[in-house]
Amino acid sequence: MFDVEYIRPQDLGEALDFLEEYGPDTTILAGGTDVMIDMRAGVLKSRYLLDVSRLPELRTIMFDNGELTSGAGVTITEIGQSEIIGRHAPALQIAADRFAGRQVRNIATIGGNVAHCSPCGDTIPPLLIHDAVAVVVSPAGQRNVPIEEMAGGPYHCTLRPDELITHFILRPKPKEVEFADFQKIGRRKELAIARMSMAVMAGQAADKTISFFRFALGACTPTPHRFREIEEMLLDRVPDEKLLWETGRVLAERMIDITGRRLSAVYKEPAIQGLFVRLMLPLIQ
Amino acid sequence: MKKNSYHLHFTLNGEEKSLDIEPGISALELIRNTLDLKGTKEGCGIGECGACTIMVDGKAVNACLIFAAQLDGRSVLTVEGLSRGDALHPIQQSFIDHHAVQCGFCTPGILMSAHALLGENPQPNREQIVKAVAGNLCRCTGYQSIIAGIEDAAERCREKES
Repeated sequence: MFDVEYIRPQDLGEALDFLEEYGPDTTILAGGTDVMIDMRAGVLKSRYLLDVSRLPELRTIMFDNGELTSGAGVTITEIGQSEIIGRHAPALQIAADRFAGRQVRNIATIGGNVAHCSPCGDTIPPLLIHDAVAVVVSPAGQRNVPIEEMAGGPYHCTLRPDELITHFILRPKPKEVEFADFQKIGRRKELAIARMSMAVMAGQAADKTISFFRFALGACTPTPHRFREIEEMLLDRVPDEKLLWETGRVLAERMIDITGRRLSAVYKEPAIQGLFVRLMLPLIQ
Repeated sequence: MKKNSYHLHFTLNGEEKSLDIEPGISALELIRNTLDLKGTKEGCGIGECGACTIMVDGKAVNACLIFAAQLDGRSVLTVEGLSRGDALHPIQQSFIDHHAVQCGFCTPGILMSAHALLGENPQPNREQIVKAVAGNLCRCTGYQSIIAGIEDAAERCREKES
Protein backbone atom coordinates (compact mmCIF):
# COMPACT_ATOMS: atom_id res chain seq x y z
CA MET A 1 0.00 0.00 0.00
CA PHE A 2 1.32 3.39 -0.97
CA ASP A 3 0.21 6.85 -0.08
CA VAL A 4 -0.75 8.02 -3.54
CA GLU A 5 -3.71 9.50 -5.31
CA TYR A 6 -5.15 7.81 -8.39
CA ILE A 7 -6.42 9.99 -11.23
CA ARG A 8 -7.97 8.75 -14.46
CA PRO A 9 -8.51 11.57 -16.96
CA GLN A 10 -11.35 11.28 -19.47
CA ASP A 11 -9.45 12.73 -22.41
CA LEU A 12 -6.00 13.82 -23.49
CA GLY A 13 -6.63 17.49 -22.69
CA GLU A 14 -7.48 16.64 -19.11
CA ALA A 15 -4.35 14.50 -18.82
CA LEU A 16 -2.16 17.34 -20.12
CA ASP A 17 -3.77 19.87 -17.78
CA PHE A 18 -2.94 17.60 -14.88
CA LEU A 19 0.64 17.10 -16.03
CA GLU A 20 1.11 20.83 -16.46
CA GLU A 21 0.26 21.41 -12.82
CA TYR A 22 1.51 18.25 -11.11
CA GLY A 23 3.93 16.67 -13.63
CA PRO A 24 6.98 16.45 -11.33
CA ASP A 25 4.93 14.69 -8.61
CA THR A 26 3.21 12.34 -11.04
CA THR A 27 3.90 8.87 -12.37
CA ILE A 28 2.13 8.03 -15.59
CA LEU A 29 0.39 4.69 -15.27
CA ALA A 30 -0.55 2.59 -18.28
CA GLY A 31 -0.54 -1.15 -17.56
CA GLY A 32 1.14 -0.75 -14.20
CA THR A 33 3.36 -3.82 -14.47
CA ASP A 34 6.56 -1.80 -13.96
CA VAL A 35 5.09 1.00 -11.81
CA MET A 36 3.79 -1.38 -9.16
CA ILE A 37 7.11 -3.21 -8.88
CA ASP A 38 9.11 0.04 -8.66
CA MET A 39 6.76 1.39 -5.99
CA ARG A 40 7.04 -1.78 -3.95
CA ALA A 41 10.80 -1.64 -4.28
CA GLY A 42 10.74 1.93 -3.01
CA VAL A 43 12.50 3.38 -6.07
CA LEU A 44 9.38 5.23 -7.20
CA LYS A 45 7.72 7.65 -4.81
CA SER A 46 5.13 9.77 -6.53
CA ARG A 47 2.21 11.60 -5.06
CA TYR A 48 -0.05 10.99 -8.05
CA LEU A 49 -0.74 8.11 -10.41
CA LEU A 50 -2.16 9.32 -13.70
CA ASP A 51 -3.87 6.37 -15.40
CA VAL A 52 -3.75 7.01 -19.16
CA SER A 53 -4.60 3.45 -20.17
CA ARG A 54 -8.16 4.22 -21.25
CA LEU A 55 -7.51 7.41 -23.21
CA PRO A 56 -8.98 6.74 -26.68
CA GLU A 57 -6.18 8.82 -28.24
CA LEU A 58 -3.66 6.18 -27.08
CA ARG A 59 -5.55 3.08 -28.09
CA THR A 60 -5.42 2.59 -31.88
CA ILE A 61 -3.24 0.74 -34.37
CA MET A 62 -3.43 2.18 -37.87
CA PHE A 63 -1.87 1.95 -41.30
CA ASP A 64 -2.49 5.07 -43.30
CA ASN A 65 -0.63 6.87 -46.08
CA GLY A 66 2.34 4.52 -45.90
CA GLU A 67 2.74 5.09 -42.17
CA LEU A 68 2.22 2.55 -39.42
CA THR A 69 1.14 3.93 -36.06
CA SER A 70 0.51 2.27 -32.73
CA GLY A 71 -1.03 4.03 -29.76
CA ALA A 72 1.14 4.06 -26.63
CA GLY A 73 -1.67 2.51 -24.59
CA VAL A 74 -2.02 -0.54 -26.86
CA THR A 75 -1.30 -3.70 -24.87
CA ILE A 76 1.37 -6.23 -25.80
CA THR A 77 -1.37 -8.82 -26.40
CA GLU A 78 -3.08 -6.43 -28.81
CA ILE A 79 0.21 -5.90 -30.70
CA GLY A 80 0.62 -9.67 -30.84
CA GLN A 81 -2.87 -10.17 -32.27
CA SER A 82 -2.97 -7.21 -34.66
CA GLU A 83 -3.19 -8.18 -38.31
CA ILE A 84 -1.86 -4.72 -39.27
CA ILE A 85 1.24 -5.11 -37.07
CA GLY A 86 1.77 -8.63 -38.43
CA ARG A 87 1.78 -7.36 -41.98
CA HIS A 88 3.83 -4.19 -41.55
CA ALA A 89 6.05 -4.87 -38.51
CA PRO A 90 6.39 -8.65 -38.19
CA ALA A 91 9.44 -8.56 -35.90
CA LEU A 92 7.49 -6.41 -33.43
CA GLN A 93 4.67 -8.91 -33.47
CA ILE A 94 7.05 -11.81 -32.80
CA ALA A 95 8.58 -9.87 -29.89
CA ALA A 96 5.10 -9.17 -28.48
CA ASP A 97 4.19 -12.83 -28.70
CA ARG A 98 7.27 -13.80 -26.65
CA PHE A 99 7.05 -10.91 -24.19
CA ALA A 100 6.92 -12.00 -20.49
CA GLY A 101 3.92 -14.24 -19.73
CA ARG A 102 0.33 -13.97 -20.87
CA GLN A 103 -0.86 -12.28 -17.65
CA VAL A 104 1.69 -9.49 -18.18
CA ARG A 105 1.09 -9.19 -21.94
CA ASN A 106 -2.60 -8.63 -21.25
CA ILE A 107 -1.95 -5.44 -19.31
CA ALA A 108 1.53 -4.14 -20.19
CA THR A 109 1.60 -1.52 -22.96
CA ILE A 110 4.07 -0.66 -25.69
CA GLY A 111 4.27 2.92 -24.40
CA GLY A 112 5.10 1.74 -20.91
CA ASN A 113 7.72 -0.66 -22.22
CA VAL A 114 9.46 2.14 -24.12
CA ALA A 115 9.14 4.84 -21.45
CA HIS A 116 10.39 2.54 -18.69
CA CYS A 117 13.72 2.55 -20.58
CA SER A 118 14.84 -0.87 -19.43
CA PRO A 119 17.85 -2.03 -21.46
CA CYS A 120 15.91 -5.30 -21.81
CA GLY A 121 12.60 -3.87 -23.12
CA ASP A 122 11.52 -6.41 -25.73
CA THR A 123 9.63 -3.97 -27.95
CA ILE A 124 12.58 -1.59 -28.34
CA PRO A 125 14.84 -3.49 -30.80
CA PRO A 126 11.89 -4.13 -33.17
CA LEU A 127 10.89 -0.45 -32.97
CA LEU A 128 14.48 0.54 -33.76
CA ILE A 129 14.60 -1.47 -36.99
CA HIS A 130 11.46 0.37 -38.10
CA ASP A 131 13.05 3.80 -37.47
CA ALA A 132 10.24 4.42 -34.99
CA VAL A 133 9.61 7.77 -33.37
CA ALA A 134 7.49 8.46 -30.31
CA VAL A 135 4.99 11.27 -30.70
CA VAL A 136 5.15 13.14 -27.43
CA VAL A 137 2.68 15.79 -26.29
CA SER A 138 2.82 18.31 -23.50
CA PRO A 139 1.01 21.55 -22.67
CA ALA A 140 3.74 23.23 -24.76
CA GLY A 141 2.89 21.26 -27.89
CA GLN A 142 3.99 18.17 -29.74
CA ARG A 143 7.35 16.75 -30.79
CA ASN A 144 8.74 13.55 -32.24
CA VAL A 145 11.39 11.67 -30.27
CA PRO A 146 13.38 8.93 -32.04
CA ILE A 147 13.31 5.72 -30.00
CA GLU A 148 17.11 5.73 -29.85
CA GLU A 149 16.98 9.05 -27.97
CA MET A 150 14.23 8.06 -25.52
CA ALA A 151 16.58 6.53 -22.95
CA GLY A 152 19.47 8.53 -21.51
CA GLY A 153 20.68 5.38 -19.77
CA PRO A 154 19.19 2.34 -18.08
CA TYR A 155 15.75 3.22 -16.66
CA HIS A 156 16.36 6.88 -17.40
CA CYS A 157 13.71 8.40 -19.62
CA THR A 158 14.70 11.68 -21.28
CA LEU A 159 11.11 12.97 -21.48
CA ARG A 160 10.09 15.88 -19.27
CA PRO A 161 7.65 15.28 -16.41
CA ASP A 162 4.88 17.11 -18.29
CA GLU A 163 5.25 15.02 -21.44
CA LEU A 164 3.22 12.02 -22.50
CA ILE A 165 3.75 9.57 -25.38
CA THR A 166 0.55 9.31 -27.39
CA HIS A 167 1.68 6.99 -30.17
CA PHE A 168 4.56 5.62 -32.18
CA ILE A 169 5.14 6.08 -35.89
CA LEU A 170 6.93 3.22 -37.61
CA ARG A 171 8.32 2.98 -41.11
CA PRO A 172 6.51 -0.12 -42.36
CA LYS A 173 8.35 -3.15 -43.66
CA PRO A 174 9.50 -2.41 -47.24
CA LYS A 175 8.11 -4.69 -49.96
CA GLU A 176 11.52 -6.25 -50.63
CA VAL A 177 11.77 -7.53 -47.05
CA GLU A 178 10.88 -11.18 -46.86
CA PHE A 179 12.65 -12.01 -43.64
CA ALA A 180 12.02 -10.48 -40.23
CA ASP A 181 12.58 -11.99 -36.83
CA PHE A 182 13.14 -11.33 -33.14
CA GLN A 183 15.01 -13.70 -30.87
CA LYS A 184 16.20 -13.49 -27.31
CA ILE A 185 18.06 -15.48 -24.71
CA GLY A 186 16.75 -15.55 -21.13
CA ARG A 187 17.16 -17.87 -18.18
CA ARG A 188 13.96 -19.61 -19.19
CA LYS A 189 12.27 -19.84 -22.57
CA GLU A 190 9.07 -18.16 -21.41
CA LEU A 191 8.60 -15.26 -19.03
CA ALA A 192 12.25 -14.56 -18.17
CA ILE A 193 13.71 -11.13 -18.83
CA ALA A 194 15.97 -11.08 -21.89
CA ARG A 195 19.71 -11.37 -21.33
CA MET A 196 20.15 -10.46 -24.96
CA SER A 197 17.69 -9.78 -27.73
CA MET A 198 17.97 -9.12 -31.45
CA ALA A 199 15.60 -7.83 -34.10
CA VAL A 200 16.22 -8.07 -37.82
CA MET A 201 14.58 -7.20 -41.10
CA ALA A 202 16.22 -8.20 -44.40
CA GLY A 203 15.51 -8.21 -48.12
CA GLN A 204 17.39 -10.34 -50.64
CA ALA A 205 17.61 -10.27 -54.42
CA ALA A 206 17.07 -13.44 -56.48
CA ASP A 207 20.79 -14.24 -56.28
CA LYS A 208 20.63 -13.86 -52.44
CA THR A 209 22.42 -10.49 -52.41
CA ILE A 210 21.20 -8.56 -49.37
CA SER A 211 19.43 -5.46 -50.65
CA PHE A 212 18.00 -4.20 -47.36
CA PHE A 213 19.16 -4.84 -43.83
CA ARG A 214 18.19 -3.49 -40.42
CA PHE A 215 19.51 -4.88 -37.16
CA ALA A 216 19.16 -3.89 -33.49
CA LEU A 217 20.55 -5.40 -30.31
CA GLY A 218 18.82 -5.19 -26.94
CA ALA A 219 19.66 -5.99 -23.30
CA CYS A 220 23.47 -6.08 -23.82
CA THR A 221 24.18 -2.35 -23.73
CA PRO A 222 22.82 0.38 -21.40
CA THR A 223 20.28 1.28 -24.07
CA PRO A 224 19.27 -0.80 -27.10
CA HIS A 225 20.85 0.28 -30.40
CA ARG A 226 20.80 -0.27 -34.09
CA PHE A 227 24.27 -1.41 -35.14
CA ARG A 228 24.85 0.35 -38.44
CA GLU A 229 28.34 -1.09 -38.93
CA ILE A 230 26.81 -4.58 -38.81
CA GLU A 231 24.14 -3.53 -41.29
CA GLU A 232 26.80 -2.22 -43.66
CA MET A 233 28.86 -5.42 -43.36
CA LEU A 234 26.01 -7.44 -44.81
CA LEU A 235 24.45 -4.96 -47.24
CA ASP A 236 25.12 -5.76 -50.93
CA ARG A 237 26.76 -9.06 -49.99
CA VAL A 238 25.73 -12.62 -50.68
CA PRO A 239 25.92 -14.06 -47.16
CA ASP A 240 27.44 -17.39 -46.29
CA GLU A 241 27.99 -19.00 -42.93
CA LYS A 242 31.53 -17.66 -42.67
CA LEU A 243 30.35 -14.08 -43.19
CA LEU A 244 27.62 -14.51 -40.56
CA TRP A 245 30.11 -15.77 -37.96
CA GLU A 246 32.49 -12.93 -38.82
CA THR A 247 29.70 -10.35 -38.54
CA GLY A 248 28.61 -11.88 -35.22
CA ARG A 249 32.19 -11.59 -33.97
CA VAL A 250 32.34 -7.90 -34.88
CA LEU A 251 28.96 -7.36 -33.18
CA ALA A 252 30.27 -8.88 -29.95
CA GLU A 253 33.36 -6.63 -30.19
CA ARG A 254 31.25 -3.51 -30.69
CA MET A 255 29.08 -4.47 -27.70
CA ILE A 256 32.23 -4.73 -25.57
CA ASP A 257 33.45 -1.38 -26.97
CA ILE A 258 30.32 0.12 -25.37
CA THR A 259 30.14 -1.77 -22.08
CA GLY A 260 33.83 -2.43 -21.41
CA ARG A 261 35.05 -5.96 -20.79
CA ARG A 262 32.95 -7.10 -17.85
CA LEU A 263 32.98 -10.52 -16.21
CA SER A 264 29.88 -11.47 -18.16
CA ALA A 265 31.76 -10.98 -21.46
CA VAL A 266 33.10 -14.55 -21.15
CA TYR A 267 29.52 -15.69 -21.69
CA LYS A 268 28.13 -12.85 -23.73
CA GLU A 269 30.79 -12.75 -26.45
CA PRO A 270 30.15 -16.26 -27.80
CA ALA A 271 26.44 -16.08 -26.97
CA ILE A 272 25.94 -12.91 -29.04
CA GLN A 273 27.82 -14.45 -31.92
CA GLY A 274 25.83 -17.67 -31.66
CA LEU A 275 22.45 -15.95 -31.38
CA PHE A 276 23.33 -13.70 -34.32
CA VAL A 277 24.19 -16.66 -36.55
CA ARG A 278 21.09 -18.59 -35.44
CA LEU A 279 18.91 -15.58 -36.16
CA MET A 280 20.41 -14.99 -39.62
CA LEU A 281 20.54 -18.63 -40.82
CA PRO A 282 17.41 -18.29 -43.00
CA LEU A 283 19.40 -15.80 -45.12
CA ILE A 284 21.75 -18.56 -46.30
CA GLN A 285 19.24 -21.37 -46.65
CA MET B 1 -3.80 11.77 9.19
CA LYS B 2 -6.13 12.10 6.23
CA LYS B 3 -5.97 9.10 3.96
CA ASN B 4 -6.50 9.46 0.24
CA SER B 5 -9.53 7.63 -1.01
CA TYR B 6 -10.83 6.35 -4.33
CA HIS B 7 -14.35 5.23 -5.04
CA LEU B 8 -14.21 1.91 -6.86
CA HIS B 9 -17.11 0.35 -8.69
CA PHE B 10 -16.69 -3.04 -10.37
CA THR B 11 -18.16 -6.50 -10.76
CA LEU B 12 -16.63 -9.32 -8.73
CA ASN B 13 -17.71 -12.89 -9.49
CA GLY B 14 -20.95 -11.59 -10.93
CA GLU B 15 -21.74 -9.28 -8.02
CA GLU B 16 -21.62 -5.49 -8.19
CA LYS B 17 -19.19 -3.97 -5.70
CA SER B 18 -19.01 -0.33 -4.78
CA LEU B 19 -16.59 0.76 -2.09
CA ASP B 20 -14.04 3.35 -1.04
CA ILE B 21 -10.45 2.14 -1.14
CA GLU B 22 -7.02 3.49 -0.45
CA PRO B 23 -5.77 4.27 -3.97
CA GLY B 24 -2.32 2.75 -3.42
CA ILE B 25 -3.45 -0.82 -2.83
CA SER B 26 -2.97 -3.53 -5.42
CA ALA B 27 -5.81 -5.56 -6.88
CA LEU B 28 -4.42 -8.48 -4.89
CA GLU B 29 -4.60 -6.58 -1.59
CA LEU B 30 -8.16 -5.55 -2.43
CA ILE B 31 -9.24 -9.12 -3.13
CA ARG B 32 -7.42 -10.84 -0.26
CA ASN B 33 -7.49 -8.24 2.51
CA THR B 34 -10.35 -5.83 1.86
CA LEU B 35 -12.80 -8.34 0.38
CA ASP B 36 -11.43 -11.33 2.27
CA LEU B 37 -11.30 -13.74 -0.66
CA LYS B 38 -8.24 -15.82 0.13
CA GLY B 39 -8.33 -18.11 -2.91
CA THR B 40 -6.11 -15.79 -4.91
CA LYS B 41 -2.55 -16.27 -3.63
CA GLU B 42 0.45 -14.03 -3.33
CA GLY B 43 3.66 -15.76 -4.39
CA CYS B 44 6.44 -13.59 -5.75
CA GLY B 45 4.68 -10.21 -5.81
CA ILE B 46 6.54 -9.24 -8.99
CA GLY B 47 4.56 -10.91 -11.73
CA GLU B 48 6.70 -13.97 -12.20
CA CYS B 49 4.88 -16.84 -10.49
CA GLY B 50 1.26 -16.37 -11.56
CA ALA B 51 -0.19 -17.47 -8.19
CA CYS B 52 -2.28 -14.27 -8.10
CA THR B 53 -3.80 -14.72 -11.56
CA ILE B 54 -7.36 -13.41 -11.85
CA MET B 55 -9.50 -12.65 -14.87
CA VAL B 56 -10.32 -9.06 -15.79
CA ASP B 57 -12.84 -8.67 -18.62
CA GLY B 58 -12.10 -12.24 -19.66
CA LYS B 59 -8.31 -11.90 -19.71
CA ALA B 60 -5.82 -13.44 -17.29
CA VAL B 61 -3.82 -10.82 -15.41
CA ASN B 62 -1.50 -10.76 -12.39
CA ALA B 63 -3.41 -9.16 -9.52
CA CYS B 64 -0.11 -8.23 -7.85
CA LEU B 65 0.89 -5.99 -10.77
CA ILE B 66 -2.14 -3.74 -11.02
CA PHE B 67 -3.65 -1.20 -8.72
CA ALA B 68 -7.11 -1.97 -7.38
CA ALA B 69 -8.28 1.34 -8.85
CA GLN B 70 -7.51 0.01 -12.33
CA LEU B 71 -10.38 -2.46 -11.87
CA ASP B 72 -12.91 0.39 -11.90
CA GLY B 73 -15.74 -0.48 -14.29
CA ARG B 74 -14.26 -3.90 -15.06
CA SER B 75 -15.60 -7.38 -14.54
CA VAL B 76 -13.38 -9.51 -12.33
CA LEU B 77 -13.43 -13.25 -11.82
CA THR B 78 -11.45 -14.95 -9.06
CA VAL B 79 -11.17 -18.65 -8.31
CA GLU B 80 -14.11 -18.33 -5.91
CA GLY B 81 -16.33 -17.46 -8.87
CA LEU B 82 -15.62 -20.68 -10.79
CA SER B 83 -17.87 -23.16 -9.00
CA ARG B 84 -21.66 -22.95 -8.77
CA GLY B 85 -22.38 -23.70 -5.13
CA ASP B 86 -21.12 -27.22 -4.52
CA ALA B 87 -20.84 -27.99 -8.22
CA LEU B 88 -17.23 -27.65 -9.30
CA HIS B 89 -16.37 -26.06 -12.62
CA PRO B 90 -15.31 -28.68 -15.20
CA ILE B 91 -11.74 -27.31 -15.06
CA GLN B 92 -11.64 -27.84 -11.30
CA GLN B 93 -13.05 -31.36 -11.62
CA SER B 94 -10.56 -32.39 -14.29
CA PHE B 95 -7.68 -31.01 -12.16
CA ILE B 96 -8.81 -33.35 -9.38
CA ASP B 97 -9.27 -36.30 -11.73
CA HIS B 98 -5.80 -35.82 -13.26
CA HIS B 99 -4.05 -35.22 -9.92
CA ALA B 100 -3.02 -31.80 -11.21
CA VAL B 101 -2.92 -30.49 -7.63
CA GLN B 102 -0.28 -31.27 -5.05
CA CYS B 103 0.42 -28.52 -2.52
CA GLY B 104 -2.25 -26.44 -4.22
CA PHE B 105 -0.66 -23.02 -3.88
CA CYS B 106 -0.34 -22.41 -7.62
CA THR B 107 -3.70 -24.04 -8.43
CA PRO B 108 -6.07 -21.03 -8.22
CA GLY B 109 -3.83 -19.06 -10.56
CA ILE B 110 -3.49 -21.92 -13.03
CA LEU B 111 -7.25 -22.51 -12.99
CA MET B 112 -7.77 -18.86 -13.92
CA SER B 113 -5.16 -18.98 -16.70
CA ALA B 114 -6.80 -22.15 -18.02
CA HIS B 115 -10.27 -20.62 -17.80
CA ALA B 116 -9.13 -17.52 -19.71
CA LEU B 117 -7.53 -19.73 -22.36
CA LEU B 118 -10.67 -21.83 -22.88
CA GLY B 119 -12.75 -18.68 -23.10
CA GLU B 120 -10.56 -17.38 -25.95
CA ASN B 121 -9.86 -20.74 -27.57
CA PRO B 122 -12.16 -23.67 -26.69
CA GLN B 123 -9.97 -26.13 -28.62
CA PRO B 124 -6.38 -25.35 -27.69
CA ASN B 125 -3.60 -27.70 -28.74
CA ARG B 126 -0.90 -28.78 -26.32
CA GLU B 127 1.49 -26.03 -27.41
CA GLN B 128 -1.16 -23.36 -26.84
CA ILE B 129 -1.91 -24.77 -23.40
CA VAL B 130 1.77 -24.73 -22.44
CA LYS B 131 2.06 -21.12 -23.60
CA ALA B 132 -1.08 -20.08 -21.72
CA VAL B 133 0.26 -21.36 -18.39
CA ALA B 134 3.90 -20.38 -18.99
CA GLY B 135 3.35 -17.49 -16.58
CA ASN B 136 2.29 -19.85 -13.79
CA LEU B 137 4.99 -21.63 -11.81
CA CYS B 138 4.34 -24.97 -10.14
CA ARG B 139 7.07 -26.54 -8.04
CA CYS B 140 5.29 -29.86 -7.34
CA THR B 141 3.62 -31.45 -10.31
CA GLY B 142 6.14 -31.15 -13.13
CA TYR B 143 3.27 -29.67 -15.20
CA GLN B 144 2.35 -32.86 -17.11
CA SER B 145 -0.72 -33.55 -15.00
CA ILE B 146 -1.73 -29.88 -15.25
CA ILE B 147 -1.52 -29.93 -19.03
CA ALA B 148 -3.49 -33.20 -19.12
CA GLY B 149 -6.06 -31.61 -16.79
CA ILE B 150 -6.51 -28.63 -19.09
CA GLU B 151 -6.75 -30.83 -22.21
CA ASP B 152 -9.48 -32.85 -20.52
CA ALA B 153 -11.20 -29.72 -19.20
CA ALA B 154 -11.40 -28.35 -22.75
CA GLU B 155 -13.22 -31.48 -23.80
CA ARG B 156 -15.58 -31.38 -20.82
CA CYS B 157 -16.39 -27.73 -21.42
CA ARG B 158 -17.16 -28.46 -25.07
CA GLU B 159 -19.43 -31.38 -24.12
CA LYS B 160 -21.22 -29.17 -21.63
CA GLU B 161 -21.81 -26.55 -24.34
CA SER B 162 -23.10 -29.03 -26.94
